[in-house]
Amino acid sequence: MRRGWKLKRTGSVAVAIALTAFAARAAEVELTATADSSEVALDGTLTLQITATFASKGSVTPSIPAFADFDVVSRGQQEQTSFQFINGAPSFRSTVVTSLALTPKRAGDATIEPIKLDYQGRAYTTQPIHIKVLPVGATPSPQAQRRPPPQRNNPFAGLDPFDTTPGGPDPFADVHPGQKDLLLRASIDNDHPFVGQQVTYSLYLLARSNVSSIDKLSLPRLDGFWTEDIESPQQLVPEPKILDGVPYHAFLLRKRAIFPLRPGKVTIEPSEVEVLTGFGMLFSRGTSKRTSQPISLDVQPLPQGKPANFDVGNVGQWQLTASADPLTVNVGAPITLRIVASGRGNVRDLRMPRLAPIQGLRAYDATTSDKEKVEQGAVMGTRTVEQLLVPERTGTVEIPTLTMDIFDPAQKQYRTLRTDPIQIRVAPAAGGGTASEPVAQNVLSAGGVRPIRLRFTTATLGTPPWSQPWFFPLLALPPFGLALLLGLSGARRMMQIDPNVKRVRLARSAATRRLQGAQALLAKGDSAAFYAEVARALTGYLADKQGVAAAGLTREELAQALQQRGHSEDLTRKLGRVLDDCDRARFAPTAGEAPAREAMLGRAEQILSELDRA
Amino acid sequence: MTMLALLLVANAGAFGLLPSPGAEAPGSSQAQLFADANAAYLSGDISRATSAYEALIAEGVASPTLETNLGAAYLRQGKRGEAALHFERALFLDPSDDDARADLTELRRGNVDKLEGEAEEGGSETLARVLAPLPGGPASVVFLIAWCAGWAFLGLRVFQPQRRGPGTWAAAAFSVAGLCALITWGAAHGRKLALQRAVVVAQSAPAREGPQEKSATHFEVHEGTTVRVEDEEGPFRRVKLANGLTGWVSSVAVELVVPPGWAGRPVMAGPSRASQP
Repeated sequence: MRRGWKLKRTGSVAVAIALTAFAARAAEVELTATADSSEVALDGTLTLQITATFASKGSVTPSIPAFADFDVVSRGQQEQTSFQFINGAPSFRSTVVTSLALTPKRAGDATIEPIKLDYQGRAYTTQPIHIKVLPVGATPSPQAQRRPPPQRNNPFAGLDPFDTTPGGPDPFADVHPGQKDLLLRASIDNDHPFVGQQVTYSLYLLARSNVSSIDKLSLPRLDGFWTEDIESPQQLVPEPKILDGVPYHAFLLRKRAIFPLRPGKVTIEPSEVEVLTGFGMLFSRGTSKRTSQPISLDVQPLPQGKPANFDVGNVGQWQLTASADPLTVNVGAPITLRIVASGRGNVRDLRMPRLAPIQGLRAYDATTSDKEKVEQGAVMGTRTVEQLLVPERTGTVEIPTLTMDIFDPAQKQYRTLRTDPIQIRVAPAAGGGTASEPVAQNVLSAGGVRPIRLRFTTATLGTPPWSQPWFFPLLALPPFGLALLLGLSGARRMMQIDPNVKRVRLARSAATRRLQGAQALLAKGDSAAFYAEVARALTGYLADKQGVAAAGLTREELAQALQQRGHSEDLTRKLGRVLDDCDRARFAPTAGEAPAREAMLGRAEQILSELDRA
Repeated sequence: MTMLALLLVANAGAFGLLPSPGAEAPGSSQAQLFADANAAYLSGDISRATSAYEALIAEGVASPTLETNLGAAYLRQGKRGEAALHFERALFLDPSDDDARADLTELRRGNVDKLEGEAEEGGSETLARVLAPLPGGPASVVFLIAWCAGWAFLGLRVFQPQRRGPGTWAAAAFSVAGLCALITWGAAHGRKLALQRAVVVAQSAPAREGPQEKSATHFEVHEGTTVRVEDEEGPFRRVKLANGLTGWVSSVAVELVVPPGWAGRPVMAGPSRASQP
């Protein structure tokens, strides 16, 4: 990523601006002198920083005494003037920082004499500083190392280039610039971080020559990291630094917190910067491009032994608290539960504990808010989860202990954070109780959406039977089947009839057919055959229907047989006469006249009908 | 006759003759997805729960439990129309689903539409509710068996009049068949009413005089209101409210309780609701 970037040494610019009209405005002068250590080895170097701040534009030079116990190895001075409107009036404030590198002359107790400054007729003096000079090769104790105290309105306060807080290594420990008078240096404070652990990436410009401004600072892409700017100075602020015995100015260009998201070896690409050297814009000597060295990290995976509920985003030094407000409430009134995790780490990946359902408390959806800040080079964060709870019954309801498993990279171990349980006293709702009934009532009103069901059952969908195409045909099948069976049964009975019975049933029709044949013979004029056929019709009928063989019987026997079968005497007498007439006509043709023959047919049919009815 | 009865009973499930919530065991992946959806619902992630429930429905799962839970999820999201639709579907699948009925009653309390006037349908809503639990499928099967048995006994009575018993058995079988026919008829009528039921899923929809955009608007219906679809013409449906109020409403705004493809309902051509804007 390449950003437009321009820093100016405002002190140089301020010199070019001649607003001396306000210089006469008298102001207080602050003069301080600090040493970077109270102990120094006889062959070591001590840095003395003298800061003079005064409320006007211009430059002053503190008076450096001839030190009795120290030699001055190098000397540097930076000036800065700020300009602002206060209550509508322009105001200047200038700061002059003089840095001296001192080497002791002898071992034992030594003193840095007071620094003096004359300003607008007044004299200002610092306190003497006592230094313990150790023998050659001795190492000053860490407690003796001290940093200049922060000063009010000190523009360099907090910009200690060696502060790679917390406890980071000196970024220039392995820098050997040789003959280079300008170099870009990138550093990290931890090259073996754990996943999710903060690493501070710093970018410094080291210069022996004067630096006017910075152009086109290109920072590397930081894929695989979540990043957060810690410092992004808008002004170039030099800090003296002696590298291999050569005084340099170190300018912090960028300080950024990076959090690796994946384990493995990662290389951060070099940064690039264009530097304008010289004094201010009017006396610039030229532009130089510098590139930093690449940086390698070996990101460590989180160690074994993760708790069951551990989330990979919970890396850092966190604290967990829970609170509820109010702790005494009426039924139905809301309670706000706040779960707060705060500490050092990447708050955006933090997985907060969830409140399990609590009997008697209706919980609504939680809201989450985050706050981030940078403190002493570390990214600090606070995640707050707020959840609305509504008690549904009276009595005491307890919000149980909430737990959150984290990995603390400083201690290199997993920890479980726990909140304290919270007791909430729930009183009856206003108007829910009466004077005569002091016991709290638990009013259970019907309604509300019911809880979901967890048992999964499915239903089989299908067309109902009555909509199936076979349903109604199947209904019609039984009656039709029965009808068919009845029909078939009748037909079978017809097929299996007795010939005698059949002859009886067909006797009348056979007799009728013979009478019709007799009529045909009558038409031909064959009277004998006519009478013979009539007699056969009657005797045949008697034989078929009545089972009486008339041909072999006398008239009396015939009459008797018929009477035995239930026929009347008159009928038998008529039958005998007809048969007798037929016999006479067959054997005495003259007696058969045409009208008599036709009458014979009528008589025969009548007898057949009467026999049929009987 | 015995063979016919066995065949019918054996195939009852396959033909969907028997109403059977819980008759079919869900697949393990579906059960897992259902469990995930429930977990999301309980943790307050309602949108994720809704998506998971809908995914199960998209797989063709028909479950009264699923429909009830989805309805509850939609109700918590404030989508009253969708919630009412899925509660109705749960009741179609299992008329004895007390949770779905209670949730639907709760939902209707907050409906925008309040119907006034006498129920012109003669209480068709009540009638549908009464008829819905009737075991139409089993009753129709028993009806068929008893009907066939009755005719069989009658045949015995005709062909073997000297035997005692077939006549009595025939009378008993026809009595059972008559009772079952009555139940089947009731269930069929209830099903016909259910197939016409629909729910307004749009927040509001104008009910017009005719199936055209330019037709005058008579009144407006709002989400969650149950209607009866009487006709369909192009992108409009003719709906009737319980009090007889009738109008043409956009098909997109009204969703059938029994969707195409369910319970023998023919799948209609045209875009489904999911693909509609």
